[in-house]
Amino acid sequence: MRELGRLGSYLKAVTASILARTPAGRDLTVLPEDTFIVSYFRSGSTWSRFLIGNLIHEHEAITFTNMQRLVPFIYNQPDRILRRLPRVLKSHECFDPRYPRVIYIVRDPRDVAVSFYAYNIKVRVIPEGYSMEEFVARWMRANVVDYADRVGNWQDHVLSWIRLRQGRPGFVLVRYEDLLADPAKMLLQLAPFVGIVPTPERIERAVQLSSVSHMQSLEEKQAQEWITTKGTRQDIPFIRAAKAGEWRRKLPPGAVQMLEDAWGTTIKELGYDLARDSNADRELVGD
Amino acid sequence: MPAAKENLQRVLGAFAQVGRVLSGRQIAGRNVTVFPDDVFLVSYPRSGNTWTRFLLGNLLWQDAPLTFSNIESRIPEIYFNPDRLMRQLQRPRLLKSHECFQPHYPRVIYIVRDPRDVAVSFYHHNVKARNITDDYPMASFVRRFIMGEFDRMFGSWRDNVLSWTALRKGTSGFLMLRYEDMKLDPGTALAEVADFLERCSFQKIDTSPQALERAIKLSSPERMRSLEKKEANRWVLTRETRADKPFVRTAIVGGWKSQLEPESVAAIELAWGDLMQNLRYELASTRSIAPASESTESSLRGR
Repeated sequence: MRELGRLGSYLKAVTASILARTPAGRDLTVLPEDTFIVSYFRSGSTWSRFLIGNLIHEHEAITFTNMQRLVPFIYNQPDRILRRLPRVLKSHECFDPRYPRVIYIVRDPRDVAVSFYAYNIKVRVIPEGYSMEEFVARWMRANVVDYADRVGNWQDHVLSWIRLRQGRPGFVLVRYEDLLADPAKMLLQLAPFVGIVPTPERIERAVQLSSVSHMQSLEEKQAQEWITTKGTRQDIPFIRAAKAGEWRRKLPPGAVQMLEDAWGTTIKELGYDLARDSNADRELVGD
Repeated sequence: MPAAKENLQRVLGAFAQVGRVLSGRQIAGRNVTVFPDDVFLVSYPRSGNTWTRFLLGNLLWQDAPLTFSNIESRIPEIYFNPDRLMRQLQRPRLLKSHECFQPHYPRVIYIVRDPRDVAVSFYHHNVKARNITDDYPMASFVRRFIMGEFDRMFGSWRDNVLSWTALRKGTSGFLMLRYEDMKLDPGTALAEVADFLERCSFQKIDTSPQALERAIKLSSPERMRSLEKKEANRWVLTRETRADKPFVRTAIVGGWKSQLEPESVAAIELAWGDLMQNLRYELASTRSIAPASESTESSLRGR
């Protein structure tokens, strides 16, 4: 079985290299003027891609079909194509010292867990009804699916960028929750970073064209054309709730505790409250 | 004209790549297959990694001494060997890498060396590799070294060292060695590594004084230099570099004091002083330097 898998990946690699279609991925040639939108999975990077793309490209609204050309994703296209495209790129890599300018999007890991769980059902990595606690345990060990495991678990990913680049020029940290609370304000701050002089109209337009409802209706139309959603379960959307704090309703207490026990310090450092602290508060009030 | 040449190179490179993929000789590099029982020997370039490979190779293999001819089949470097060949090695494997933090490396022995000595050694290494000329000013080199301009994919010295220490120091699968400590007392360092490897599912390693002494002797700079003379044109790392410059250099600690100008020393210390002090490298600059702290909680929020 394993040999068969090896043979399969060998044939795939041979075909891709003959057709010069090997996706760039981590072997991407990085150019000095590049800007990367980096995040762990399910942390709002597709939304950021819409927001920033719509801010940069004044005359063409971002959709799931033109996004690949306007704000390219490093894993879908070969280096030789990417070289000719606009160089604000999306990436999920753990710290890469070559990236000269990085907008790093971070999201509360408890919400990431909920979203990634749903996503992995959509792409059929886990079956419907799979134990969420089991999923979270595997996810924390970076033991879900190869492409994601390779970039480390959520904490490794976030800390690798923050510890190495926080406070340095060429790095901006954006919390998904802040983006959600006031996208216009965050875009105004990000505009100079992508070389745009922001006007209120331009920002307004970008926010409108990147709204959850707009993205959801685009997904309905284009899900079979977009490489990321093509062939995945169509009964589960890629664009989900786009909410903060969903974990409070959806994540079992055991999973919350596991996450907070392992990553509590980092979660707090990023300005998210721990459930265990507020539970303690409640108990005090109850007394 | 340069564009045409670049395009030609790209096309030739693409053909070569197809050939490598077809024949299964694609160099592993960053895409190396990682097994759960792998141990990676990681460092920034010119930090004693090859010497450590010799020490460990001569401790783990008692049958024949390590040479530049068998080093790549015992403790291979991921940038010169195909993944397919390395997958066939006996496990658990020991692999050499220069990568910045890689979350999927299960166990790591990380070697760190005084960046001032690294600068001197890396300068000569880049002359040997024909990246700079013989008369290239050291001060210019150091400026570019600080920016991480040589072997860019490995980051700057700071990126490389900090990425590993900030993410893995104090965890069970991580062992940090200082090159300087190893020079001072290689026996103790080797015993420590052997202990780490045994915890990493390696078989019992003979760390008797005789075994340690043998390994240290067989890895002395003199022996490595004489091996290099005989084998340099066969070893992948040195094959296409200038033969008049040695790969195995002085192997001394503190050579920077006579080799670097004070401005270069000050520049390195200004850039990385705090990290150097964390690693117990004493600063020479008397000027007080207050580098920005590496991570401040306050800077994360708001703004």
